[in-house]
Amino acid sequence: MKLADPETKPLSRLNDSVDAGWTRLLGLGRIEGGVRRMLILVVVAFAVFAALKPSIFLSGTNLRNIALNSPEIGVIAIAMMLAMLTGGIDLSLVAMANLSAITMSTMFTAVAAGDPALAEQLFPVILLAGIAVGVLGGAINGLLISGLGITPILATLGTMQIYNGIAVAWTGGKTLYGSPSALTAIGSSTVAGIPILFYVFVLVAVAIGVVVTRTPLGLRIQLQGANPTAARYSGIASRKILLSTYVLTGLLSGIAGVLFIARNPTASADYGASYVLLVIVIAVLGGTNPNGGFATVLGVVLATLTLQIVSSGFTAMRLSAYQYAIAQGLILVAAMAFEQVKWRRRLRSRKPAVQPG
Amino acid sequence: MTSTALKGPSSPVLEVRNIVKTFGGVTALNDVSLDLLPGEVLCLAGENGCGKSTLIKIISGAEKPDSGEIIVDGNTYSSMDPTDAIKSGIQVIYQDFSLFPNLTVAENIILTSAVADRRRLYSGRAARPAAQAIVDELGLHLDLDADVERLSVADKQLTAICRALVSDARVLIMDEPTTALTHTEVDRLFVIVERLRSRGVGLIFVSHKLDEVLKISQRVAILRSGKNVVTSPASMLDPRAIALHMTGQELDETRHVSELDAQSEIVLELEGLGLRGAYEDVSFTLRRGEILGVTGLLGSGRTEIAEALFGVVPHDSGVVKVNGTPVRLHSINDAIDAGIGYVPEDRLTQGLFMDKSIADNIIAGSPNEHTTRFGTLDLRAVRETIQGLFARLRVKAPNVQAPVRSLSGGNAQRVVLAKWLARRPRILMLNGPTVGVDIGSKAEILGILRAEAAAGMGVIVISDDAPELVACCHRVLVVRHGRVVEILEGDDVAVDTIREKVAA
Amino acid sequence: MSGASLAIPDRLRLLRGANNEGVLAVVLLALIVAMSIANPAFFTLPTAFSILRSSIVPLIFALGVLMVIISGGIDVSFAAIAVFAAYTTVRALQSGTPDLGLIGAFALALLIGASLGVINGFLIAKFRLPTLIVTLGTQGIFKGALLTYVGSRYIADLPTSMAHVSTTNLFEVSTPTGSAYLHVLVVPAVLLAMGLAWVLRSTMFGRSIYAIGGDVEAARRAGIRVMRTQVAVYVIAGTMAAAGGMIYVIMGRSASPQILVGSELDIIAAVVLGGASIFGGRGSVLGTALGVILVQVIYNSLILAGVPSAWQRTAVGVLLIIGVGIQAVASRRSSRASVIDETHQKQEVPA
Repeated sequence: MKLADPETKPLSRLNDSVDAGWTRLLGLGRIEGGVRRMLILVVVAFAVFAALKPSIFLSGTNLRNIALNSPEIGVIAIAMMLAMLTGGIDLSLVAMANLSAITMSTMFTAVAAGDPALAEQLFPVILLAGIAVGVLGGAINGLLISGLGITPILATLGTMQIYNGIAVAWTGGKTLYGSPSALTAIGSSTVAGIPILFYVFVLVAVAIGVVVTRTPLGLRIQLQGANPTAARYSGIASRKILLSTYVLTGLLSGIAGVLFIARNPTASADYGASYVLLVIVIAVLGGTNPNGGFATVLGVVLATLTLQIVSSGFTAMRLSAYQYAIAQGLILVAAMAFEQVKWRRRLRSRKPAVQPG
Repeated sequence: MTSTALKGPSSPVLEVRNIVKTFGGVTALNDVSLDLLPGEVLCLAGENGCGKSTLIKIISGAEKPDSGEIIVDGNTYSSMDPTDAIKSGIQVIYQDFSLFPNLTVAENIILTSAVADRRRLYSGRAARPAAQAIVDELGLHLDLDADVERLSVADKQLTAICRALVSDARVLIMDEPTTALTHTEVDRLFVIVERLRSRGVGLIFVSHKLDEVLKISQRVAILRSGKNVVTSPASMLDPRAIALHMTGQELDETRHVSELDAQSEIVLELEGLGLRGAYEDVSFTLRRGEILGVTGLLGSGRTEIAEALFGVVPHDSGVVKVNGTPVRLHSINDAIDAGIGYVPEDRLTQGLFMDKSIADNIIAGSPNEHTTRFGTLDLRAVRETIQGLFARLRVKAPNVQAPVRSLSGGNAQRVVLAKWLARRPRILMLNGPTVGVDIGSKAEILGILRAEAAAGMGVIVISDDAPELVACCHRVLVVRHGRVVEILEGDDVAVDTIREKVAA
Repeated sequence: MSGASLAIPDRLRLLRGANNEGVLAVVLLALIVAMSIANPAFFTLPTAFSILRSSIVPLIFALGVLMVIISGGIDVSFAAIAVFAAYTTVRALQSGTPDLGLIGAFALALLIGASLGVINGFLIAKFRLPTLIVTLGTQGIFKGALLTYVGSRYIADLPTSMAHVSTTNLFEVSTPTGSAYLHVLVVPAVLLAMGLAWVLRSTMFGRSIYAIGGDVEAARRAGIRVMRTQVAVYVIAGTMAAAGGMIYVIMGRSASPQILVGSELDIIAAVVLGGASIFGGRGSVLGTALGVILVQVIYNSLILAGVPSAWQRTAVGVLLIIGVGIQAVASRRSSRASVIDETHQKQEVPA
């Protein structure tokens, strides 16, 4: 035992283990506290629209659409959460995802022009190339932020313009058609009534959840976001952490690009332009602190589902996309104000604990 | 005392009467009364959390009291807002100075009074001569056109003093004014304080440094747990009496040092360490199981040497050997890899993740030491480490999930200590380990250090608290002007000897 | 102490300007010279005037954004406010409301802009929320509300007063030097810029904005009414956005709820290029104007150089990364230097 302590007596050890049990229980309750709100929101949103328009909202098509729309947005929202966890932000996510989709479509079309069968066979290569584009984009962001020390919001604002500009120039502003049929097949098939893409989303969420809560990297990402100075004095190499984080967000964008093109065999520079706002809404609604240090993947997944339910509910009620935009904005501002009020109240009630003694 | 005051020396410029302030049911100030005469320095002393800062906030209008009144120059207020306070001549210089880093010195000096005058227009050209006048009057040299963020700490403080005086302050409150200053800068500050006294300004010094308190003030008021336990002329008090009033208990600082095995190996050896402009030719050794004190005045280079050993600001000459092998210390990670840990002076920003849990803070420095073979965290090992240290260091908190922000100074320091003990460094350096720590925790922290040393760690304590060094150190290095001038051993490790060598 | 030893760096600092305006001016000048050598068609009055013309609306937007950035915030809702105010005004004037004339139209638009600014300011100052996220939210709300409740139709015929005044004015200002046309609406843009420069430099309100951007807590302690100032900043930013939107509509002689979408980040890029610090407390009207013009000159150069317009976004992105990258590296170096400085200063002089 590394931490042998001469003073630890059997009784106090027993006490400790009892304490530890309680602590774990309390810890569980605490984690659920943040996520519980989201769970309630998901259920309430679902119940409200199911009650208002059951015939349309509860139809198989609608439910499948929710499951089909969520993955690409959810994956990007998780990437946004990661960037926010370090105290940063990544505005270039959607641009990277589009660039990845465009790369895949272009590669497929180029090969297929000569040999359609070969193009189908090269499907895994094309897939990897698309994801690699995302990783590359993320690595550039990471180098600008960790190497040069540019503020994340400005660095990714710049690279968003650059990646988007490259995409526009590359496609000439037109929509590209064509992707491996295997990918389209995956995008349109279901297992046990649930689209395969949704399984991909769950898989990504679980993987990132493990990274954030169960690995040294994840712990360091959280600590870096909570207090960069203390992180430095604790031996956390901030440059390495930031670089890893933005490579990871790039990787997730690449995966989102694959999801884009799996759903529709098309790619364009301006696909998902509204997602930039949407994923910030989702991340913040899911309990991510935009100043860094605090976030949960589960919260973000639930927030994604909530917004998709609201979106399809609005459609079911024949409300416009513009009204959905209003709802998004209101939800964002309300969620932030709620968090802030709660936070301040907690600070105030905590004050006496610090003051005397 | 040069009593130029209009109403005679006995009429106070500031009085607070029966101030009560509670936060959510807990009493921070309980019926506190004070008065301040013109041309007087009153020292407000007390441990962290005794209510000093709350009282200052109430006088400056940042907080409103539940009951009680504030009387300035005969005018009675039941509460103030910041502008009322400034208008009636009360100025506070906070520990962080509250300057605007992006504005020039001249503008910083002028802006606050312009706000208090409810002016609408601002003229940089008119501001400069006004700022110049006050700078000249105090006999200072300040570059009025420099941005404040480019100034040294001492110049920032002088800027804050000028800002306070430009609006004709009657009462000047200074919160821990000497903390960030070097010894010569403190002397210079005290010269200016004398000048202010002769102008009839009443000063309140908030401090927990006993010798400083006695040196500069005419009277001392001591707060303990929200109560004013004593107000007395400084000449009637000695450091021991002050400490007794502050803590309510006798200090136990008897020397308690284990016998050091002469054969125990040298874990750390410095040969001619130097950094241009900071320190030079620093050589010493540290043995396994030894607690080595490093002391000296602020600015003597003691903190810089520690920061060099931890790779924060690397040295530019000399050699450091750990266990006999020369090591490269170019970054914090180099130092940690070499087995060196560091509990920094500025606990709140450098040591702790305030909003994170105690558990996260404890494990922050050693996630790689707690992994499974798949590279993920070994949760069982993590839990054992956290619970083990939480219990062993007796951190007072409901559980390990409590955020560190909710802890008192002493408990927060234990968490920083736990972070390093979780890594088991060969060498642990602590800078001001008991600053802002209550008396009970202080003794316990020293006890932990003794136990760790006994278990084979090499410990370096950097401190200006002589009794503390005497209580736990085998040897004490005295640093002066960037050089190690004295290595005290055996019976020479005594409070008086240390104080004498430091000040020489 | 740091008295006389700073004389030479001081002089350099003066030349560079507080926010590197000098450097920016040199870059701009170099670019113009290079373009003129490469393509003589560039160095003509019509080109200059057309660059100025295309700078009008971005400059007005940039001034509002500048003020917000100096106060330590960021505003991405200004384009939505601009469209909302301008389009709603045009709709109101069209649908039977008595013709208010140009002044009345502007007054209505500015009032709408100010009210939307109040919403931003209230949320930010009252709840102390991150400005980026609040304005992202309100941007969605404003845009959605406009399209849902005001209209989504493209309007080709402006109210007579606006159309009439705008066209007549355009002819009046044709300049004597050759056949170059300088648009009359340059005048309000320049007046706004000069006005804001004066406010920022010579009023307590302006200095309070810098103070808040430098350190909010210190501003509060100094007795500055932070909440009131912040709300005022967003109200003025909203009003400026509305003015920019109206001018855009008048110059384009049409109104649509879809205009100006996506231009937010270009404007913020120009302001940051102009030396404003994204962390607040720093920035100047001169720098911002230079930043806006630099971006327009680059657009123009790319067109003259035959580069497809698709690359414009990329060019602005690259420019932003280079500009901000240089600033970041420089500040990192100076902070390292100041560590050593500090160590030097802490060194005690033996008595």
